[in-house]
Amino acid sequence: MDKKTVETLASCADQYMAYETDQVMTWCGGCGNYGIQNALKRALVLEKIKPRDTLMCFDVGCNGNGSDKIDCYTIHGLHGRVLPLAAGAKIANPKLTVIASAGDGATFSEGVSHLVHAIRSDYPVVFLHHDNQNYALTTGQASSTTPVGCHKTATPDGVVTENLNPLAMVLGLSPSFVAQTFSADVDHMTKIFQEALHHKGFSFVQILQSCPTYNRETSDAWYSEHVFDVEKEKHDVEDIWAARKIVENPKKLPLGILYRNPQKKNFLDSVLHRDHLKTTLTEEVRHTDISKFLEKIS
Amino acid sequence: MTSQIRPTTSSPCPLTRTRLRIVGQSGSGLLTVGEIVCKALQNLGFYLCADREYLSLIKGGHSAFTINFGASPVHSLSREADILVAIDKHSLMEYHDSLVPEGIFVHGYERVQGISDILDSMKKKKVNVVSAPARTLATENGGTVQMTNMILLGMTWGVLGFDFSVVGDLVREKFKKKKGILEVAVKCLKAGFESVTDTAPCRLQTPKKKPKTLLLNGNHAIALGAVHAGMRAYIAYPMSPSSTILEYAAHMARDTGIVVKQAEDEITAAQMALGAMFAGTRALVATSGGGYDLMTETVSLAGIIENPLVIVLAQRPGPGTGLPTWTAQGDLNLAIHSSHGEFPRVVIACSDPSDAFTGIQHAFNLAEKYQIPVIFLTEKVIAESNMTVPEFSQKNIPIERGLVEGKKLESLKSSDRYRITKDGVSLRWIPGSSETHYFANGDEHNESGEIDESERTGEMYAKRMRKLETLKKDIPEPEVFSVKENADISFVGWGGSLTVMRDIIEMMKERGVKVNYLHYQYVWPLKTDLLNTFFVHNKNIHLLEGNYEGQLGTKLEGLTGKKFAGKLLKWNGRPFFIEDIQKYIGKALKNF
Repeated sequence: MDKKTVETLASCADQYMAYETDQVMTWCGGCGNYGIQNALKRALVLEKIKPRDTLMCFDVGCNGNGSDKIDCYTIHGLHGRVLPLAAGAKIANPKLTVIASAGDGATFSEGVSHLVHAIRSDYPVVFLHHDNQNYALTTGQASSTTPVGCHKTATPDGVVTENLNPLAMVLGLSPSFVAQTFSADVDHMTKIFQEALHHKGFSFVQILQSCPTYNRETSDAWYSEHVFDVEKEKHDVEDIWAARKIVENPKKLPLGILYRNPQKKNFLDSVLHRDHLKTTLTEEVRHTDISKFLEKIS
Repeated sequence: MTSQIRPTTSSPCPLTRTRLRIVGQSGSGLLTVGEIVCKALQNLGFYLCADREYLSLIKGGHSAFTINFGASPVHSLSREADILVAIDKHSLMEYHDSLVPEGIFVHGYERVQGISDILDSMKKKKVNVVSAPARTLATENGGTVQMTNMILLGMTWGVLGFDFSVVGDLVREKFKKKKGILEVAVKCLKAGFESVTDTAPCRLQTPKKKPKTLLLNGNHAIALGAVHAGMRAYIAYPMSPSSTILEYAAHMARDTGIVVKQAEDEITAAQMALGAMFAGTRALVATSGGGYDLMTETVSLAGIIENPLVIVLAQRPGPGTGLPTWTAQGDLNLAIHSSHGEFPRVVIACSDPSDAFTGIQHAFNLAEKYQIPVIFLTEKVIAESNMTVPEFSQKNIPIERGLVEGKKLESLKSSDRYRITKDGVSLRWIPGSSETHYFANGDEHNESGEIDESERTGEMYAKRMRKLETLKKDIPEPEVFSVKENADISFVGWGGSLTVMRDIIEMMKERGVKVNYLHYQYVWPLKTDLLNTFFVHNKNIHLLEGNYEGQLGTKLEGLTGKKFAGKLLKWNGRPFFIEDIQKYIGKALKNF
């Protein structure tokens, strides 16, 4: 983090504290969620987004246990369903900053159809994919992102099914924003979350998240050895083929913005018949005159 | 039966009720014919009820469009028809039996040997057969085989004996954007009309007074009511018989600015609606039984986070895919008991377009005031039946949201959101409207929404459940139709059964039989005070339900300790026809 950002952050201590709660943390020591929430609060403060304008939507899982640990409007929904829930809220009131977070079980198993269509519809929502490669809250079963051979509680002989590659899959769906970051690097996460908050469509942020209790295979130390910064490799963020190429190697994990398509129309911009309206759906709840429609059937 | 008219060549038809059935395979243009006849009848001042029976396919199969009309209100349908119009043979085979003796059979077959058996049986029934070579007439007038339906439409209108221009104008309107075929369509229509006018067996009188009515189906009424009540987002996944709500909403979007989203599945639709309602707008979803099954986890979430949610459940027979295009009242238990855990909810069942329009507005108010899911039941026969109803009045039902507004937003505490209150209702405010935020937690929580697994959570649970008793005071008792006491025979029912009972009550009155009917519109929570009184004052009370188990009846017997004298239940996909009730009354009142 550069000096200027540190100074800005220091001058925003009150705003940061506004996002803090007095709840006792219930994550394991060393869990990636501490860093993720820390970085998220930093990003919100640096972007001058106030708690009253922030809606955090949580899926069920370890990340969902953070639903009462960030002081803004939050909704803690059902397993796998956080994306349509967040999309509905954003459509109703686009003035809210809507951030959804879910784990790999929710995103790539239970709710995988929602991910596909959230990307297709390009809902203006920031999505934080907490990928710790296992179902931690249900005590460490394998997920669809657990690599082959890993020993989990319900796969004592090791996982035999090939894992999904979240980034490769997402990049195959014509997304408008895809980035990857790493839960041990708060500065990097802060920067990526800020970029995601700037994006006007659906931001898919893949977080390589450590799980010290149930995922010994890919620890912080392991990740540190296998990640690289795409910015330093002069990656062209508007070249989807370049992005697809760099996400293929499971031993060389790119960090940074991998792909961005500023041309894609987000869901709200594609609702053309509302172009002339300045109000939100939330502000429009009142009796609507239906005389015109009644005339046709009288 | 009193409703039956016997059109003959000698005298004008009486004005009670005329029962017209047009049959043809799906894709033959039957729907167009039926809808134009309905509109034309409304324009002449008739009251009508019309339903389309069809199979779950796009081309072929038998299909019927039945219209019952008269100069006084018509709410339901007969199984029998006075006039049968056949567009094709396949459908004729299925429906020819429904034509009454001395009725009228209109057809356009040119090779009559193919239907000689049917014609023979009609001869025995003294049926008046009106025919014209429809296909030849269509091609002679420049049309394709598809235009046969315009010939049949012309013939039908001619047989009824009404003025050509009424139907002519509607056909012009229908085809005005298809300049190429407009003139051909009108020519075919006229040719069909003129082919029967010399021999027209029926000269129906048009009503002297033209009542102010709307002609629409239940789905259209739900869409109109929801939009009127401030619904700003409609999200759905298509499923018969709810799908046309999606279409009506989409067609209203441009004028009203509502957002209409066809979602990837029903889970999404329900979740998006929940999220939209959470963020403070009014959103609606609709589906049928199978789709509702997928929504049930969301209903449960709405229960614990105390979020309003309104779901239209358009019933068709199950289980499984069941009978997708037919009707049922089989999902009452589903609506009342769906979803894991215990939480308060309201279930409202509409009966016709009028109370669909008003009911959906109340559904939004109850969902918001009590922060609960409301399930709004309809049935295929309501959803897709076109009916003339009195004009709707706007702004009759105030929008009640139960939200904290204005200055009060500045003095809130987070713990106000789920405050444990006597009546179970806590304050709710829209995210972004106050500096005071809250956690809407699907995990059990304390008053601020923080996760709480202590023993105290039982208090939060009970607080939610108390809302049921509170809102019970806010919903109406069931309604008794016709006399309050000493009926010869009484019925208790819900949903679309009201329409047939309205007609039966009038018909039986003419025959000196006192029939009354107690109707439940609010089917959960159930209020039983009026029902208990009803049992005191009436001695021969029967249950009327479109399911096998008598789902409402079982609940009512359990709650009141009373027993129904008998049960008229039906589960074959068909609605209650007038004949069903008449036959049942005949049996129940043996000396009748």
